[in-house]
Amino acid sequence: MRRRFLARLGALTGVTALLASCGVGGGDDGVVTLDYWCWGETTKVEEFNATHTDIQINHTDAGGGNDSSIKLLTASRAGNAPDVSCVEYQTIPALVVSEALVEITDHAGDLPERFDPGTWQLTSFDGHVYGVPIDIGPMVFLYNRARFDELGLRVPTTWDEFADVAAEARERDPDTYVMTLPPDGFGGFAGLAQQAGGQWWEVEDGRWTVGIADETSLEVAAFWQDLLERDLVQGGPILTPEWNNKLNKGEILAWPTGVWGPGVIYGIAESQAGDWAIAPLPGWGEGESGAAVPFQGGSALTVTDDDKIEAAVEFISWMNTSEEACALQIAAGEYPASLSGQAMTAEQPPPPLAGEQEDYWEIANYAATNTLPNLQWGPNVNTAQSVFSDAVSPALRGQKSLVDALRETQRAVVDDMARDGFDITD
Amino acid sequence: MAGDVTQRVSGPLGSRTARRRPRTAAPYVLLGPALALFLAFLAIPVVYALYLSLQGMRIVEGGVFGTREEVFVGLANYRETLTDGAFWSGFGRLAVYGLIAVPLTLGLALCFALLLDHAGARARRLSRAAIFLPYAVPGVIASLLWGFMYLPSTSPFSYLTEKMGLDAIPFLEGTNIFPSLANIALWGGVGFNMLIIYTSLRSIPPEIYDAARMDGCSEWQLAWRIKVPLVVPALLLTGLFSLVGTLQVYGEPTTLAPMTTEISQTWVPLMHIYRSGFIQDDLPMAAAGSVILAIGTFAVSLLLLRVAQRRAFGGHQ
Repeated sequence: MRRRFLARLGALTGVTALLASCGVGGGDDGVVTLDYWCWGETTKVEEFNATHTDIQINHTDAGGGNDSSIKLLTASRAGNAPDVSCVEYQTIPALVVSEALVEITDHAGDLPERFDPGTWQLTSFDGHVYGVPIDIGPMVFLYNRARFDELGLRVPTTWDEFADVAAEARERDPDTYVMTLPPDGFGGFAGLAQQAGGQWWEVEDGRWTVGIADETSLEVAAFWQDLLERDLVQGGPILTPEWNNKLNKGEILAWPTGVWGPGVIYGIAESQAGDWAIAPLPGWGEGESGAAVPFQGGSALTVTDDDKIEAAVEFISWMNTSEEACALQIAAGEYPASLSGQAMTAEQPPPPLAGEQEDYWEIANYAATNTLPNLQWGPNVNTAQSVFSDAVSPALRGQKSLVDALRETQRAVVDDMARDGFDITD
Repeated sequence: MAGDVTQRVSGPLGSRTARRRPRTAAPYVLLGPALALFLAFLAIPVVYALYLSLQGMRIVEGGVFGTREEVFVGLANYRETLTDGAFWSGFGRLAVYGLIAVPLTLGLALCFALLLDHAGARARRLSRAAIFLPYAVPGVIASLLWGFMYLPSTSPFSYLTEKMGLDAIPFLEGTNIFPSLANIALWGGVGFNMLIIYTSLRSIPPEIYDAARMDGCSEWQLAWRIKVPLVVPALLLTGLFSLVGTLQVYGEPTTLAPMTTEISQTWVPLMHIYRSGFIQDDLPMAAAGSVILAIGTFAVSLLLLRVAQRRAFGGHQ
């Protein structure tokens, strides 16, 4: 009775979270319970809970990468962060600066050897380890092969060819666009700029340089601006009911995206399972297409509350390097970050969306091995993303150019960093 | 008066005041719970917000990239917010939205209330419930629902226009975003406001209507000359609610934002504040924005009440 009254009082005053965190977590016969935030990953967590007796995971889906990082920051500032969280690579520096992530350098054990150095670099800086990579997102050209064949389109190997294909698609079916350029496609656009040689952030001896509006990135912006003006690609939000509907009708043909893309598309267009395929991302230069593969998305597992750090690291290691977890991950269409997981892809069937594609994992491996190294994200990517989408939106409506949108983003990001007190080159 | 003074200077407290103490304590005991809640959930948070708004997130040494911590920055957050064009254009958008939503909401609410109050009205209970029902739908769900009805490929309206050989209706493009958003507020808000006005109408003594009818007053005149002037206080109240509600618009544009490029992340002041506080991890900046918004809301409400009271209750001093 009294407990019920207290619970009600708690609900009334909004301290249920506090009560819950006192009530749950550890204690009972040596079993450690970890609160874990991540989008998806349900099957892996079930497998972990079924195979472990001393650690149990309490899984919460706190929304996708962006939402989740915002909630994590807030929970961490309020002092009630979960024990373990998924975070996207691009948000890690900002989370480190806000002290939302626990450094696990001393607990990492042999984990660094189980990843490619370039991959490991995504979660550790100057030898300080802040997380363990889950999957990587080398970019590929994900396209609706059935519709491409139907319209007689070839798969582009360079971006110039892509422009021709976009024009052909518009000619052959006026309702169709080869792709949509989204306003919130910060990570994707950063990837395309990086592919051309752009560096959006660099840090040396604590001194930052922001290159969102460097010459290369502006050229990339001008290329897409031209396609928008000629109405060859559609500008607008993606993964909305509207866009999903168009995609299901076969009016959106492709998506340059990280190799995690098939899982996302399968989630909204199950009926097109088997119709899709991946190809190397078109390149900027002549010759070997995709020789430089940029990176988009992918995420890491991090410890976000340090009072059960050993158990948390054990769970993270299992999730990212164990055979069972990697098999489940590959089945979901993710490309594992760990070397052992990558080796396992060879024997796996392709993800359902690209179910008919024999060489799916070959192409994914090719993209992964040709990924550009040294990707550095800035300490205020959240701000950059937000400014970018606000600046790009009018550009997609034809009220501004993408080139100006990038300049605006650069200015806002530099101002924001300067105000916070980062050492920054103008 | 004079007695008061002599009592006050009469030195140490006499036995009389001691006898009075229980009586003076009673109101405080009775006010206690309310005061405690007021302190805990309003006064202290307000003071804390004021304190926070004078702090700033700045980089201090530590970690790989440095860490952001709270330091005292005085009025820097206010300066930055007040000189931020994006913050002010949010108020501009609110003005447009409010000019569409508020008069229509109140007008329709009054209209429905008068219709319900009409002697010949049928199925009163049912109509009242039907008009009120949308208010029970949470704003976010209402926005999603309407969002689907606005998006060209899922919209039943656009389906019809396309069947007629016309284009889809661009609900979420250009300036159409304002009426589209106002419509969501209208759909949800009319019922609630109608209920307030209707309640006020029911409390008018029927003798007044009898007298008016005796004097040859038609139903139209009855509505215009008697009912409307008598429910002015209710209109004032609903007007104030709508105004404050307008300044606090957040849920609808935030929910529709992913569906259209028209709504930026700082589209209305509250979205701007949310972005500062949670996306940019800068609660002090959000606190400063909130203080500015609160003071503005307070000032506008006060102004409206002053002006309207004089007009509505003029002469009743």
